[in-house]
Amino acid sequence: MSDAQFDAALDLLRRLNPTTLQENLNNLIELQPNLAQDLLSSVDVPLSIQKDPADSNREYLCCDYNRDIDSFRSPWSNTYFPELSPNDVQDSPFPSAPLRKLEILTNDSFDVYRDLYYEGGISSVYLWDVNEEDFDGHDFAGVVLFKKNQSDHSNWDSIHVFEVTMSPSSSDVFNYRVTTTIILHLDQTKNNQDSHMMLSGNLTRQTEKDIAVDMSRPLDVIFTSHVSNLGSLIEDIESQMRNLLETVYFEKTRDIFHQTKNTAVASSAEEANKDAHAEVIKGLQSL
Amino acid sequence: MSSSKFEEVVNKIVSDSPPGELREIYDDLIKITSENSKNTILDAIENYNIQNCIPIDVNGKSIIVSKYNKEGAKFFDPINSVIFSVNHLERKGLDIEPYEFTHPSLEKEQLQDLHDKLQKYLLLNFSGDVSFAVYPILEETNKISIIIVSTKYNPKNFWNGYWRSCYVYDLETKELSGSISTQVHYYEDGNVSFQSGKDISQFDIGDVVSAIKGIETSFEDELDRSFFELNEKQFKALRRRLPVTRSKINWGSAIGSYRLGKNAAEGK
Repeated sequence: MSDAQFDAALDLLRRLNPTTLQENLNNLIELQPNLAQDLLSSVDVPLSIQKDPADSNREYLCCDYNRDIDSFRSPWSNTYFPELSPNDVQDSPFPSAPLRKLEILTNDSFDVYRDLYYEGGISSVYLWDVNEEDFDGHDFAGVVLFKKNQSDHSNWDSIHVFEVTMSPSSSDVFNYRVTTTIILHLDQTKNNQDSHMMLSGNLTRQTEKDIAVDMSRPLDVIFTSHVSNLGSLIEDIESQMRNLLETVYFEKTRDIFHQTKNTAVASSAEEANKDAHAEVIKGLQSL
Repeated sequence: MSSSKFEEVVNKIVSDSPPGELREIYDDLIKITSENSKNTILDAIENYNIQNCIPIDVNGKSIIVSKYNKEGAKFFDPINSVIFSVNHLERKGLDIEPYEFTHPSLEKEQLQDLHDKLQKYLLLNFSGDVSFAVYPILEETNKISIIIVSTKYNPKNFWNGYWRSCYVYDLETKELSGSISTQVHYYEDGNVSFQSGKDISQFDIGDVVSAIKGIETSFEDELDRSFFELNEKQFKALRRRLPVTRSKINWGSAIGSYRLGKNAAEGK
């Protein structure tokens, strides 16, 4: 695979109908199988849902970051479902014990956030170690996921992939870098199905922020600081993205539609012509 | 991959493309596959242009290609009296030759009359780059097709818009049937698609142009209402702007108190 092929594939997926993203992704992989790994790890598709039988079938979200073979790790019981063979599990990725503690805390906090903002839906957070040694409160990475289906006709997926790294200039300052993709689908069928309307797609933004963390405090306090910093950052990003989505979906696309068809503007031009015509007549009469 | 599977995949990708971006789709597909797939992709683009009634630049005139004006490998236009081949990738007419309109029951004047009325309507109701056509239907001599395409392509600002309405009018039964299809693609730091359409079937239509005007004006009004409804109802129900508390979250070790508060309120 060449970079040019990968870039061309990403360009295509940015252009093709976003509602058939998964199908187009599969088709591109059929055309060029050696693009598979890079495409699957860099293209965000709507999140799928899995149940955790070890935690009263509580639902969790699945993406490439919690996948191993064809199974997905649950943030609730830290187990892969469908269950992997003992041999496979030995090689499966898990966060180190201290990072798993942070993962539990982060899931708990974002579950409260989910309830307050989404009033329903599902959230899941997955963390992974970025160093060889076990996590000690310093660098780590992860993904925060939200999904809300209102009906078959409206669906929201938030995917925040982040990295937390200690600033090179100060050991008490961390750089939080977040790449956010929100996939939003809305559709409507009217009048005995003879008319339909659909707004669908995704927007992506990158954000980063340096925030201080007092590293002299005990590890559980450091953990809380990381979750708070990440929490308020993602809360801000989602608020901005929600505004952006509202603008693009309901104002921008509507404006563009009216740049192809616009009875109001075209007719007001006609009105203006009539007015001008009336002015001319008035002018003539006053002569 | 078998050649029939390959064709199927290329066709699917091309048919999923927004109307203003076929050149880029072609370049991407060549890069991903190879120059060897050129003919397969071009065939798919030809089908695409015909199905989507894409306007072709024929000596500076914008002429729509469709299944109705296809004659062998060429396309004809009775109003402009030309018949031509098409470079479907460049959307340009080639081998342009004069074309004499002959029809068992229709006079050219009838088409011209409808064409002129349509033009008046389009001038006042469409804001994009407008192309339109009135073509007789060769197999059914009592029917004519009416096609309207309005586009606004703005790749510099990462958006493209497209309107197509396509009707068949039966001169004997006075039945008008067809469909409206519209698309907007917005792809700055993302990929957002707006698509809408409507099927139409009306009877006892004497004045075709004023019937079309009525249909398309109410479609446009209905769309404006749908944009408003989707925002007010579906979008707002997905995620709140702020929590019920009307303030941002107090993150930290006390975050659990939100849950306690909620449970208390719900009497748990």
